[in-house]
Amino acid sequence: MKQYVKIEFIRQYKSLILWVVINCGLSILMLSMYPAFKDSIGDMMAMLDSFPQGFLEAFGLGEGGLDMSTSYGWYGMEGYLFVSLLASSYAALIGSTILSREEDDQTIEFLLSKPLSRNQVLFGKGLIVLTNLVIMNILLFLTLFIMFTIVGDFLIKTTLLIIAGIFLLQVIFASVSFALSIFITKSRQVMSISIGLVVGLFFLDIIATLTDQLSFLKYFTPYEYVNAVSIINDQHIEPTYLLISLCIIVISMTITWYVYNRKDILL
Amino acid sequence: MIKTKDLTKYYGKSRGIEKLNLEVNQGEIFGFIGPNGAGKSTTVRTLLNLIFPTSGQGKIFDLDIVKDTVKIRKDVGYVPAEVHFYSDMIVKDFIQYSTKFYCKDYQDFMEELAQKLELDLSRKIGDLSSGNKKKVAIVIAMVFKPKLLIFDEPTSGLDPLIQSKFFQLLKDAKKDGTTIFFSSHVLSVVQKICDRVGIIKEGQLIKVEKISQILKTKAKNIRIVSEELELEKTDDMKNFKHINDTYYFTYTGDISDLLNQIKASKIDDMSMTEPSLDEVFLHYYKAEEQS
Repeated sequence: MKQYVKIEFIRQYKSLILWVVINCGLSILMLSMYPAFKDSIGDMMAMLDSFPQGFLEAFGLGEGGLDMSTSYGWYGMEGYLFVSLLASSYAALIGSTILSREEDDQTIEFLLSKPLSRNQVLFGKGLIVLTNLVIMNILLFLTLFIMFTIVGDFLIKTTLLIIAGIFLLQVIFASVSFALSIFITKSRQVMSISIGLVVGLFFLDIIATLTDQLSFLKYFTPYEYVNAVSIINDQHIEPTYLLISLCIIVISMTITWYVYNRKDILL
Repeated sequence: MIKTKDLTKYYGKSRGIEKLNLEVNQGEIFGFIGPNGAGKSTTVRTLLNLIFPTSGQGKIFDLDIVKDTVKIRKDVGYVPAEVHFYSDMIVKDFIQYSTKFYCKDYQDFMEELAQKLELDLSRKIGDLSSGNKKKVAIVIAMVFKPKLLIFDEPTSGLDPLIQSKFFQLLKDAKKDGTTIFFSSHVLSVVQKICDRVGIIKEGQLIKVEKISQILKTKAKNIRIVSEELELEKTDDMKNFKHINDTYYFTYTGDISDLLNQIKASKIDDMSMTEPSLDEVFLHYYKAEEQS
């Protein structure tokens, strides 16, 4: 079992490095632009005033929204949104392919002819996904720590909440994608569907914020559960949203466990 | 060692195997033969719990093939019909990775097997031919000296020289008390090494017999060369052919009757041979179709 997890980790580390570089790089880029932006904040705010209120709200800039004159408000607007989208894409990618690739490449026959139970196979894969996500978020935290310290005002609670928000999103997308890969064993197909889900729900979040009549949609998109305004301004994640997130994760994992322990491995 | 009772597997509505009752004894090499689609791989994959039986039950080492599959797999080496491994790994690393599942170090035996099968341990799996991948699978299956070896078409892709070395390895394993379940559609291979054979047709086991017994049928392949002989075809003569001065047929009757029939004529040459397993196999298949 130990050896199996070790080999799995080795097989995944290159992709982890790539996505860490993308996410940390994007955060560094956005925060390094903040000092220059801060100097011209007056012009920018005047320009934003000319935009419709609904549009500003969609990006967390409406009334009671993010204060872009602060480094965290700037990051919430320019960095967090895209980092959470990209980090979710990585989670969906690893969640959807870590098991389906074994079936696609037919190497699952080797693995399941060894004295490993299906639960051990699932546990090992899940552990690798979780470990990779934790490593990514630790490195992202360190990046934010360095960058916010450089630009002036590092706040530990807010930074931890930003990381918690991204991590929660990732676990949701990884567990849903993992469950999907039990049903769709062609790794390219399940990867496309998972990435489609990540992007589709991102736009659903924008639609839910833009239109009052469609605001009920916010319960169907995890981006709303960890939106920048509640994390940076209100310094919390809504307990209702936390509960919904937990339910999605638990249901996905239960389906995965139940179906995988009963399914035929057809090659 | 292996025992199944009414083991049945359906893929939706299509048949895999149906009420398969199989018994493989400890220490024997059991051949499992049948054409493509007869249910050989389904049987193997059900025994290893890669697929779940629709009904019936199976036991290996007296353990249930579904409930106790992990315990069973601790002592089973398996070579699949088509070999798929991690193409980015080096052969040696991959075999060592495989042995770690059994918590022992088999370095010396790995090198011995690789040497016998002429397998280069330093190459990348992705660069290997299908025959060499099959050798890797054989080493992985045999290296931890399991109690039971399950082979599904193991000789495909192996050249004749390596095949004979492989058969020698199987004979050595048998001497050490290993039981071998050998599924194949190549009858000449089964004939060479197996003690008993089970014939599967359309998902059902139609005959289980010792190889020596199955070949000891009454039927003989006859060839008679004679310019004078005028031989009348009888019901005991199957596949009857008369080309130039030579008669060819499979004779199922009493040999003394045949000799009485031909003794008046001058015989230039005559041969009488045992039918091959292929011919016996086809005989069983035809007999089953007629019934």
